[in-house]
Amino acid sequence: MTAIASIGTAKPATNQSQGPSPGPGDNDRQTGVSFGIPDLDRHLNGGIWTNALHEVRCSLARDFACAAGFALGLAAQFGKPDARRIFWVIDPAASVDSGLPFPDGLSEHGIDPKMMVFARPITLRDALWSADQAAKCSDLSAVIFQVKGNPKHFDMTATRRLMLRARESGVLVCVLRQSGDQEASATATRWHVEIMPSGPDPDFEPGPGQARHVQTLERNRHGRTGQWTLSWNPENRTFEDGTPKAQTAHRVRRIHASADRPDSPAEVG
Amino acid sequence: MSVAFTHLPTDRIARLKWGKSWILNARADSPPLAVTDVENNAVRIVAHEAYAARFSIFRGQALSDARALVPDLECHTRDRAAERSLLGSLAAWCERYTPLVALDGEDALFMDVTGCTHLFGGEASFVADVETRITAQGFTVRVCLADTAGAAWAMARHGTGRIIARDQHIQAISSLPLAALRLDTSVVASLGRVGFKTIGCIADLPRAPLTARFGRHLLDRLDQASGRQDEIISPLMPVAELASEKRFAEPIVHEDDIKRCIGILAGNIIALLERRDLGVRTCEVKLFRVDGEVQSLGVHAANPLRDPDRIAGLFHERLGRLHSDLDAGFGFDIVRLNILQADPFNGDQHDLVERKDTGERYAALIDRLGARLGTNRVLQFSFADTHIPERRFALVPVSGRDGKTDPDQVALPRPSRAPTRPLVLLERPEPIDAIAQVPDSPPSRFRWRKVVYEIARSEGPERIACEWWRDGRASLSRDYFRVEDTQGYRFWLFRYGLYDRETTRPNWYMHGLFA
Repeated sequence: MTAIASIGTAKPATNQSQGPSPGPGDNDRQTGVSFGIPDLDRHLNGGIWTNALHEVRCSLARDFACAAGFALGLAAQFGKPDARRIFWVIDPAASVDSGLPFPDGLSEHGIDPKMMVFARPITLRDALWSADQAAKCSDLSAVIFQVKGNPKHFDMTATRRLMLRARESGVLVCVLRQSGDQEASATATRWHVEIMPSGPDPDFEPGPGQARHVQTLERNRHGRTGQWTLSWNPENRTFEDGTPKAQTAHRVRRIHASADRPDSPAEVG
Repeated sequence: MSVAFTHLPTDRIARLKWGKSWILNARADSPPLAVTDVENNAVRIVAHEAYAARFSIFRGQALSDARALVPDLECHTRDRAAERSLLGSLAAWCERYTPLVALDGEDALFMDVTGCTHLFGGEASFVADVETRITAQGFTVRVCLADTAGAAWAMARHGTGRIIARDQHIQAISSLPLAALRLDTSVVASLGRVGFKTIGCIADLPRAPLTARFGRHLLDRLDQASGRQDEIISPLMPVAELASEKRFAEPIVHEDDIKRCIGILAGNIIALLERRDLGVRTCEVKLFRVDGEVQSLGVHAANPLRDPDRIAGLFHERLGRLHSDLDAGFGFDIVRLNILQADPFNGDQHDLVERKDTGERYAALIDRLGARLGTNRVLQFSFADTHIPERRFALVPVSGRDGKTDPDQVALPRPSRAPTRPLVLLERPEPIDAIAQVPDSPPSRFRWRKVVYEIARSEGPERIACEWWRDGRASLSRDYFRVEDTQGYRFWLFRYGLYDRETTRPNWYMHGLFA
């Protein structure tokens, strides 16, 4: 599955696009940091801006883990390098549906759970304030702002403010939107995450293997949009191209679908 | 100093009925008030208004008799909890005079005012101030200031003086009846039978026979009243190590004024801290209202602070959180900053714009978030050594670790492309309907949250046995499976109970999702 170019609003790939000039106090992140995947980097015109606001969106509540994995991957690979802490703002409405990060799972994903800090505000206003304060603090590596749906007060002004803060402090700010629709905002990139069947597990054939996701870049301020299959490499803490090479969907012995039908009446005679 | 509220139960009801200033406004024309309770299997009057005494109503009188005398007597049943809380709030308010305020029984307070009276222009004006303010709030009160607590107690209830001069207390109480010594009624009665009526009678008697006849307690009380033995008064609120306060002739109402005042107090207290080489960890601001209520705002810092702007900034956030709940009433006339916990201060705190000192800005962020959201809402992981997944970790407040943020050392799994633990764990395992081959197979299909999932791949079981020492021997083991459905979603679900060995009908639960 190769990249599908220019879904939706295509931006012409101009050569001058380093984007808007960096603000004062910007610590030399003028070119983006590359993903390591040539096609993706081409679309991003060099790479992803690390001192900016990004959004990761998923449509269904059960996709939350995939979206969280992608957001944490972005934070791990592209967060501010000399800092290590990741700050997560929990949305109380969301955690009932989807749960909270599990430290053992975080550790297997390549993220040190001792470096995670959570804020659990009650109102959206407090949540926006917390994200704002955290984005200003340059001792953090990344800020993940979890939000459910498309609340009214999280609008263009709020996202613009977060973008400016991220630019000044160098922190990567990521909005993790669960069960939300597309919404115009001041983010540098917006990603939509969907699940795909996983790759083969070399150690155990019938088991689930390395995860693969379809990432759709829906909005790209500094380049074109597109769609890629990526998988996360926790040991190197980088994203890799996840296109499946050979499909070996080995299935487990399954009970026939008629197993849950009532017993057929015994024949007479 | 002893402050005795002689009619606390009825005063409480009178305040509710007629407003706090019912004493100042001359009592409304209404039937007398009394408070009743069940004593000795009869409903008796335990408290009555001063006004009711005119009608020959007294304490201990049966209600039926009282009703016979005064048909329209207004009675209320005694509410001890409300009275206790009222006394507590009175004690909190009396902290404006001294931090050493203690409850005394059910209707009185002790205040240790050594060294405080000069602030009010002498003892006489101090006592007058206390009396007028408390009366203005609607309580009948009798106060007495003396060298010892026992003498003050005695004089307040049974005597007539309000101030006993220094070293005059023994003389002053010698004419008071023996009940003024806080003795049991039986002891008083037996002393009366022998012929002793006043304190002066027994003050000079030989001590050994008194003890032998009437018990140790009598002598203790005598000594406490005369000052030979110290009486320990434990204050109600913890006494702050350092405090700085500001009194206003004209009460302040606006939030900006309060913020500015807090800034001034923080600046004042820094000098004291510097002399002792300490930094602030926990402090609170108490705002005393004119009409008797006290508001308290607390703030906690992860590292010791000595910068007045930062301390004031934390209180600004705290005030911001309280915004609509801060009711100034008629204004605050005393603002006090108490330092509750101060630790040795290490390192300078200049105004860093941006420099190497990492962790500084992070600590400031944590403090600010804690002040605004509450310290129990800024969390990090803490780990426990157990196999049960949901018990392996907890989210605990960040600042509750003495400034260090190193959690316990528990072995965490290494990064792996095929993770065995989910990235996201549900708050509670959710029951699912699953079909699986017995005894040990993974499910082939299951239904979760009304959606059916068909399993394409799976791995397991991973058996996590119960913790029988915590949950009891009847608890069941879990067999965890990592399953992937045809679309690619990967789940972590478990079967609760081994088939046929632990239960005949094991249930299936969904616990987490993989990335």
